[in-house]
Amino acid sequence: MSPPRLTGALRSFSNVSKKEDLAEQVYDLKAKRLKRQELFAREGLTWQKIVHFCSEHQDKVKQHAASQELKSLLVAAKQIVGDEHGQEAIESAGVFLFETFHNRDHVGTEETRAIKQMFGPFPSSAAEASCACVARLVAQVGDSRVEELIQTQKSRHDPQRTSSFGRNIDFSYEGYTLHPLETLSESSVPDKDLDF
Amino acid sequence: MACVRVPLDEQQVTEAGPLGKERTLPALHPDRTEQRCFVPYKPPPEDSTPAEVEEFLEHAKFITEDLEWLLALPHDKFWCQVVFDESLQRCLDSYLHHAPRGLDLAAVPSSPAVADMQRSVHRAVFLTFLRMATHKESKENFFTPAVFGEIIYENFLFDIPKILDLCVLFGKGNGQLLHKMIENIFTQQPSYYSDLDETVPTVLHVFDTILEKCGLQCEGATAMEPMRLNAHKQPTAMTMSQQELVDILLYLCDSTTTIHAFLDIFPAACSSFQSRGFLSRLTSFYETMVPDLEKAVRKRNFDDKSLQEDLWKRLSHSCRKMVETSHLLLHHTCLQPILERRENMQTFAEELLQYFTSFLPEKRFLCDYDEQFPIAEDISLLQQALPVIDETRTSYLLQGVESAWDGAGRRRPESRTQDPT
Repeated sequence: MSPPRLTGALRSFSNVSKKEDLAEQVYDLKAKRLKRQELFAREGLTWQKIVHFCSEHQDKVKQHAASQELKSLLVAAKQIVGDEHGQEAIESAGVFLFETFHNRDHVGTEETRAIKQMFGPFPSSAAEASCACVARLVAQVGDSRVEELIQTQKSRHDPQRTSSFGRNIDFSYEGYTLHPLETLSESSVPDKDLDF
Repeated sequence: MACVRVPLDEQQVTEAGPLGKERTLPALHPDRTEQRCFVPYKPPPEDSTPAEVEEFLEHAKFITEDLEWLLALPHDKFWCQVVFDESLQRCLDSYLHHAPRGLDLAAVPSSPAVADMQRSVHRAVFLTFLRMATHKESKENFFTPAVFGEIIYENFLFDIPKILDLCVLFGKGNGQLLHKMIENIFTQQPSYYSDLDETVPTVLHVFDTILEKCGLQCEGATAMEPMRLNAHKQPTAMTMSQQELVDILLYLCDSTTTIHAFLDIFPAACSSFQSRGFLSRLTSFYETMVPDLEKAVRKRNFDDKSLQEDLWKRLSHSCRKMVETSHLLLHHTCLQPILERRENMQTFAEELLQYFTSFLPEKRFLCDYDEQFPIAEDISLLQQALPVIDETRTSYLLQGVESAWDGAGRRRPESRTQDPT
C-alpha cells in the first residue's frame, strides 16, 4: 500500500479532481493478454504468409517436410493458447511462436516471459517443441530470408515506429532524496525538556 | 490531411467506418480510438517473492509497450486516445498515485530487472504527460490554444494533485521541462489558478490534521469548540503507537517535499499560496509541531535504532523543506519584485519586513530560517535597493533575530555571527 501522501488528501478533500468511479472497468492481466492476442493477430505477418513462404521455391520433399513442421508448430501453439480457442487464435499463436523463435536455438528466460505475457501460463514442453519446429523450418529456408520476411512485414505494418514523440528528449531519472539538516547524533538543537 | 495547417480541433478526416463505407468525421472523435486496454500500474513489490516480481514485470511491460505505442502515434490519433480512452487515463493516474517517490521507505527496487523496468515506465509516463501538455507539437500539428485549455481541463487530463505529483516524481532532474509544461497548462487554461486557490486551504488542513493527530491545538479550532474537562485525552507524539508516528512523519515528509518541489518548479504559484496566508500558518505549524516531534523521535524507545535514525532524517528533511518553502515564498512575492525594481517597491519592502517581524515570536522557526537564509543579508539587500527604509525597524528586527538565537540556547554559525546594530 502507498504511504500517506499530500496529493491523496487533496484528491479526497478538495474539489479539483475527477472523482474515481469505482464501477469503471479496470483491465486485469487476463483481459490484457486477450487484447494483445487480438492486436497481434491484426499485425502484418499471418499464418498463411508463413505457410506460403516456407513452401515456395522448395522441391516436393522439402515442401512435405515443411508442412509437417508447420503442423507440429500448430499443435504446440494449440497447447499454449488453450483448447477453448478457435483455429484463428491458434494460427495467430503459431505466428507469434515463429516470430519469437526464428533466431533462437533454445527457450530462454526472455522467450518464456514473452510467451507468458501473451498467453499466460503454458506447458514448457510445448514451448520446447515449437522452438525445435521453428529451428528446423528456418534451417530449410535460410535464416537471412526469414529475418528479411519478418522485418518487411513489421515495417509495412508499422511505418511510424521510428518517429516516436520524445525520442530525443534528455530525460533524467534522478529523484528527490532525503536531505536532512542534521543526523540524530549531531543534532544541535538543545533538548529543553530534560528528565530528572 | 496533416499537410494543411488547420488546428486539430477543426480538422475533419474521411476514413472507412465500421461497415467499410467511407465517412467524414472530426479528427478528434471517439470512433477513431483504438481499444488498447491499458492496465493500471502497480508499484514494485516490497517483499519480492519471484511470483510478485514476475507480476510486476509483466504489468510494467504492458504499460511501457502501450505507452511507447501511444507516443509513436501521429498527433491526431494520440489525442483521440488521450481524450477518449479512459483506460489510458486510469493507467496514468495509477502511476501518479502509486509510483514510488525517492523518499519512500522502500524506494530501492529489489532487483536490477525491476529497477530497469521501473525506469522504462517512469520515462514513458513522463513523455506521455509532456506530450499531453504540448499544444503545438510542430507547424502542422497543433491545437487552437483556447480549445487545448478546455480539453485538458474538462477531461481532467491535468489537475492540481496531478501537477503536484508530476513535480515530486520528475522535478528533480527535469525541472526545466516541467516548468515549461506547467507554465503552458496554466497559460492556456487560467482556471487552474482558481483551482490552486481552492486547493491551498486543503493543504493547510493537512497541517491541521497532523497537529490534531499529535494532540496539539490547531489554529482557529480551539476557540470555536470548548473542550470538556473530562474529554478523552488525545494521544500525543510521545504516546501514540509507533506506526502512527511513522505515518505522521512520512506524511509530513511527503507533504513538505511536494509543496516545495511544486513552488520551486512553478514559482508563479507562490502568490496563490501567499494570498491564503500560507506562510504565517506554515511558520506557526513549524513552531508548534517540530519540537514535539523531535522530542518524540529522540525520547521514544525504538527497538530498531535504524528506524529512529531514519525518522529523525525525515523530520530534519521536512524542517529544511518548510524553511526553504518559506524562503521561496518570500523571495518570489517580495524580494524578487524589489530586486527587479518593479513598481510599488516600497509596498513589497513593507510586506517583507512585516513577514520577518511576524517570525519574531516563532523563535525556533526564526533560528532555523536564519541559519539557512540569514535575515541580515536580505535586510542589507533591502537597504541597498531602498535607502529610505526605516533603520529603527530593521535594527529592532535584527536584534529580535539575535535574541531568538540566545533564547534558544543555540550558537549561530561562526561565519554569520555579526553585530546587529
